[in-house]
Amino acid sequence: MLGVMLIAPCVLIFCAVIVYPLVSAVYLSLFNIFTPTLKGNFVGFQNYADLFAGEEFWRSLFNTLVWTVCTLFLQVVLGVAAALMLHQAIVFRALARSLILFPYFVSTVVAVLVWRWLFNDLYGILNHLMMWSGLLQMPLDWLGSMPNAMVSIVLVGAWKYFPFVVIAILARLQTIPDQLYEAATIDGAGAWARFTDVTLPQLKDVLMVVVLLRAIWDFKEFDLIYLMTGGGPLISTQTLPLMVYKEAFGLDAMGRATAVAVAMMAVMLVFMVLYLRRMGKEEAR
Amino acid sequence: MTETTRSGLSRRSLGTALGAGAVALAAPGGARAQTPTTLRWWSPQTAPAQREAYNFQIRTFEEANPGVRVVFEATSDEGYPAQMAAAFASGQVPSVVTHLPHFAVATYWQNGLLEPFNDVINMIGTSNFYEGANRIYEITPGQFAGTGIGNSAANMMWLRRDLMQRANIAEAPRTWDQLRDACRRMQGGGVFGAPLPYARNSMTSLIFICFVHGAGGSIFTPDLQVNVDNDAFRNALEFYKSMRELCPPGATNYSWGESLTAFVAGATATGIYTGRVLANVAAQNPRIADSVTCARYPTISTNVAPWTFNDFPSVMIPKVAPNMALAKRFAAHLFRADGYIRQLHAAPGHVLPVLKTISAMPQYQENALIQKYRAEVDLMSESAAAGHNLGWESTRHRPNTAAGRIIASHVLAEAVQRYVINNEPMAAVVSTTAQRLEALMRG
Repeated sequence: MLGVMLIAPCVLIFCAVIVYPLVSAVYLSLFNIFTPTLKGNFVGFQNYADLFAGEEFWRSLFNTLVWTVCTLFLQVVLGVAAALMLHQAIVFRALARSLILFPYFVSTVVAVLVWRWLFNDLYGILNHLMMWSGLLQMPLDWLGSMPNAMVSIVLVGAWKYFPFVVIAILARLQTIPDQLYEAATIDGAGAWARFTDVTLPQLKDVLMVVVLLRAIWDFKEFDLIYLMTGGGPLISTQTLPLMVYKEAFGLDAMGRATAVAVAMMAVMLVFMVLYLRRMGKEEAR
Repeated sequence: MTETTRSGLSRRSLGTALGAGAVALAAPGGARAQTPTTLRWWSPQTAPAQREAYNFQIRTFEEANPGVRVVFEATSDEGYPAQMAAAFASGQVPSVVTHLPHFAVATYWQNGLLEPFNDVINMIGTSNFYEGANRIYEITPGQFAGTGIGNSAANMMWLRRDLMQRANIAEAPRTWDQLRDACRRMQGGGVFGAPLPYARNSMTSLIFICFVHGAGGSIFTPDLQVNVDNDAFRNALEFYKSMRELCPPGATNYSWGESLTAFVAGATATGIYTGRVLANVAAQNPRIADSVTCARYPTISTNVAPWTFNDFPSVMIPKVAPNMALAKRFAAHLFRADGYIRQLHAAPGHVLPVLKTISAMPQYQENALIQKYRAEVDLMSESAAAGHNLGWESTRHRPNTAAGRIIASHVLAEAVQRYVINNEPMAAVVSTTAQRLEALMRG
């Protein structure tokens, strides 16, 4: 009895913050609900049937995967490279370590405003420089046509979030014993071999956590994409979170919106399970 | 043993003090200092000069109503559907909402979310309004869903006489062919022909509707059947596509702000906007101020009359707004001459008066911009008075209470993007648009 009482607060909090919202979301997705009044009627699995039969969900899912994979890849590459650089004894290292966190700390709205200004077709510095250097004859439409729009948001996403990778990797780099590098050097390993045979294996655990966390956060990224392109042109950069928003507040269809959200959660769950199982197998090896 | 806190207060006396505090907090209003009653005012019109006018109106209302505090909260033209939906869903609604297009008011009214506005209209004075100004808000006979806080002529064609002269264009274009030709002749040297929007947003939908009407068509028939599978809709799409090469590359991402700035900054030879152009040119680019003029937007031929998009900027009160009597008084206060004129002068010609008593006042007429651009302001007033929008496409049309949802769905903007940017076949674009509109009308 005492055991039950001791564990009860934990279970109650878990139910309140995890189980209840989850069950509510699934429950809501079975209704056709008008958002402003939250009134509606039971439609069973019709929302899901409509969703899977339509093209928009699959296109949005594809966009979400493209965005997540591309921006995550760039974040990891840039993050590891920057962390390795900041791990060296360079001039103004402390200042550089502070400055590199700037994109991560700056508000997304401010960051997007600045980037939109840089991408602007008439006054943007990017087009200006490219035309001045003779690379372009006419300004490039960075955010309104494909594939430019997707490339632009991926680049801005990588710029905004790579400092998180830097923080995590840099912290781990500082704990790798110097003896490992010394031993490798004595064995004749060059810089590349020391990186692949010493540094990378040591970073594996932290990279796994970083990739997992960033994949989850990128998968459900909303504000950056919404503010950059609004999901356009057409639905070419519309990811699943933008679709949820559009259904819930643009079309006032809260039931359909929650159906998308539940499907999104299921997709994320599948990928996370596959990823964790694969990593578990590699560790067992 | 009596445990003491760091300050030396015993636990028992601390408990007594806390208890007394709790009793004081729970006591009726008279027993403690009176907290002010707060009204929340939402509007998407938030230019600095407008905010100054709002602050004046808030101050005069607070002075006349001691103990009342009015808080202004900004929303946006693209963001208000989401914010209003969330507010209604949570029950945390603003007290008064202004400047939303009338079709949004119609949608909320249809779903029983608004307080009838008859009391406020009576407080303002029914006879002070222009004849028929409130007709579009009478969705349920005898009951008004809101009222107009102004009129707007949102698709005026803005021109620069200096560029026209340089291109040997004697008169403002009247037809689409003339417009395209004029834009071609004026384009060059870093100046584009027009800032038409091609984005997936409400501006593209709203402006494209103007082109459908400019082709002699409409989105719905007067009895609200979908009416896009016809030559007018196809001609509008075709013309809109032909204008793409005359618009800046980034027009695929333009909304109202970008389109306005493009003309005001001198990056386009023509513009499409309300009278806000006048104030912005005066403040941001006075170099072109003497060359700026406007005309009604061209149509497919002289046989088709120009169609003005008036979004009928509104005032409304949510049904569950707290302090209803006070909210109504504040809504009526917004029309008091001193504050209302300041609002209108914040962007002369942008929001035009709905009260004939105000239009006639010397204080309103005395504004420098209104005097300088007398002909333009008169033309906008005249055009707006005969204006329409998707919620009320013509005098023959029934009010369309699904208009807000249709704009928010971006169906029409997507039709533009499919045809213009994606080069999808006309038949497929028209067919998909018709199906989606029908689905939206079904709810």
